[in-house]
Amino acid sequence: MFLTRSEYDRGVNTFSPEGRLFQVEYAIEAIKLGSTAIGIQSSEGTVLAVEKRVTSPLIEPSSIEKIMEVDTHIGCAMSGLIADSRTLIDRARVEAQNHWFTYNERMSIESVTQAVSNLALAFGDDDAEPGAMSRPFGVALLFAGIDEKGPQLYHMDPSGTFIQYDAKAIGSGSEGAQQALQEVFHKSITLKEACKSALTILKQVMEEKLNSTNVELATVTPERNFHMFSKEELENVIKDI
Amino acid sequence: MEAGMSCLTNPPPFWKNGPQPGGIYNFPNSSATHSNTSESQRSAYPIVTGTSVLGLKFNGGVVIAADMLGSYGSLARFRNISRLSKINDSTVIGCGGDYADFQFLSSVIEQRVIDEECLNDGFGFTPKSMFSWLTRVLYNRRSKFNPLWNVYVVAGYQDEQPFLGYVDKIGVAYEAPAISSGFGSHIALPILREEMEKNTNMNENEAIALVQRCMKLLYYRDARSLNKYQYAVITKTGAAIHGPVVPETNWEIAHLIQGYE
Amino acid sequence: MDSQMNELYGNNGPKQVHFSPYAFNGGTVLAVAGEDFAVVASDTRLSEGFSIHSRDTPKTYKLSDKTVLGSCGFHGDVLTLTKVIGARLKMFEHSHNKKMSTSSIAAMLSTMLYYKRFFPYYVYNIIGGIDDEGKGCVYSFDPVGSYEREAYRAGGSASSMLQPLLDNQIGFKNQEGATVVPLSKEKAVALVKDVFISAAERDIYTGDAIIVQVVTKDGVKTEQFPLRKD
Repeated sequence: MFLTRSEYDRGVNTFSPEGRLFQVEYAIEAIKLGSTAIGIQSSEGTVLAVEKRVTSPLIEPSSIEKIMEVDTHIGCAMSGLIADSRTLIDRARVEAQNHWFTYNERMSIESVTQAVSNLALAFGDDDAEPGAMSRPFGVALLFAGIDEKGPQLYHMDPSGTFIQYDAKAIGSGSEGAQQALQEVFHKSITLKEACKSALTILKQVMEEKLNSTNVELATVTPERNFHMFSKEELENVIKDI
Repeated sequence: MEAGMSCLTNPPPFWKNGPQPGGIYNFPNSSATHSNTSESQRSAYPIVTGTSVLGLKFNGGVVIAADMLGSYGSLARFRNISRLSKINDSTVIGCGGDYADFQFLSSVIEQRVIDEECLNDGFGFTPKSMFSWLTRVLYNRRSKFNPLWNVYVVAGYQDEQPFLGYVDKIGVAYEAPAISSGFGSHIALPILREEMEKNTNMNENEAIALVQRCMKLLYYRDARSLNKYQYAVITKTGAAIHGPVVPETNWEIAHLIQGYE
Repeated sequence: MDSQMNELYGNNGPKQVHFSPYAFNGGTVLAVAGEDFAVVASDTRLSEGFSIHSRDTPKTYKLSDKTVLGSCGFHGDVLTLTKVIGARLKMFEHSHNKKMSTSSIAAMLSTMLYYKRFFPYYVYNIIGGIDDEGKGCVYSFDPVGSYEREAYRAGGSASSMLQPLLDNQIGFKNQEGATVVPLSKEKAVALVKDVFISAAERDIYTGDAIIVQVVTKDGVKTEQFPLRKD
């Protein structure tokens, strides 16, 4: 994509003459190397599904975690440099708990995403807030949850931009997956359908054969809040696809 | 009786609360053996003080008045100091309490007025903004246990309305149609309120006359007052400080007051 | 040195003027919750010692279309606290794109008060408003942030006179064979006026006028009526 290197791709806070911040764009490119993650919003709740790249039989698959709980009503899926996500998730959790502590209510998904994007944008500044790094974060996040506006899905990239989606795919298979999501998504999709579609699409874009150890699936619903699917529950969904 | 007896052996002091005659200079109340000037102690009490400030709204403006005495305890130390300060054509403040703190804050205000003037954008302190700012400054200083030992009466004219507000050293602030600080709140304020109730639509001259009557009354009744005062009138045409006024006094009946020796 | 001075000047010399960062400026606040409304009321007198500073300083603060705060005690802290609450409400609205709910305001006020636990706001707060379900609600606080939701509460200088009266008239406490009837808005307002008239008779820090703010789903309506001025 960027065939000609220039002096403008070094400093994280130097615009190129065309008005671009190369380091931020490179960071967004880094997401495309990551494993695929999918989020779907339905009227009954939101679904997150990710592929886990188990590159060696000696890897313990359960130690790869790409969907995390932010609060009882919010989950987060990620793709890219997973190590970078630790500080972001940590910030999301702190913000959500602070909001609950002060206002005695669940923080909205949008506000959590906003708070995390503030941190994602604080790169390069020497005396920026704690947690900020010298470079942009190399990870994209999907925040899924339920608040007073109902089920919500937000996508945030390393530039700190965040946008709400009905359905969104990130990572290496995102282009194909997004296309597939557009075809399969409709406003009256049920949660069960959404779970099934998420795994179906993952299966299509994954290099390995999809099974209950190399994917993660989670839902956020009013009844069960954030819920990670167990191996058995996963197999139940997989057998239908 | 006891006081009378001790008069023979111990003559009453020429003045109280001041330095010991011929002694080294010591502020009253401070221990002679050590001087504690740590920040938390700096303004723990007032030194040279001004007494009451009166303020009264009338139809189309405000009048405020303060006498010109700076007391050092019971000593009438400075007899020609101004306790009214004109901020601009629509704002005047009057100050009671520690005079040094007033001078300090006056210099801060003066600098802010100059800074604001330099911007030349037509903006500046208004009576309401001055009042709000003073409230924050005094409250913040009290919260640091380093109060500015003052009461401020802010008088002005804004939005076609007279303005009159009160702020004290701990940040209690309010607006009222008649205000008095200190001793005047016992002696003068009931009279101001009564006259306002009788004459709900007082004009400028009536208001000035009423405040002048109260200033004279305070000179008769307040031991820390002086028969020399200034008053300021703020209307939509501007603000002006008048005086010093030295009212005629009459002590003919004073000899009838007996039995307190 | 000191004894010499005492001998010379007598012992009636100046006393140490002690700085107190607090004053008690009086005032009574009261809130009552009904099924779909809340009434918040206060008197308008501002006092210090035996002096009346002002006869027209209401101690109710409209925080939103659904929430009214009654706040009294040390007026300097009341002014500061209500100003900070106002700023926090605006900041919340800007960052979360919604108005703060009554229960959230109550929770936030509790944390604000507790953060000054060791140099407290000397303020008695009572919040009245409409909750997320559209029901009337009252939250009462102590000066350091302890709070609870209640049906009715009086706070401030005449609170110890008003509270037992409210217990009897609204809570139907300490009566035998009383039939519990739901409180209507009109009854609540009339009762609030009555108890303030009684408080003004006995409490020198309550008087001049009463402000009654009625909160319903349609907003806040304010009425004022005079109390004795002595």
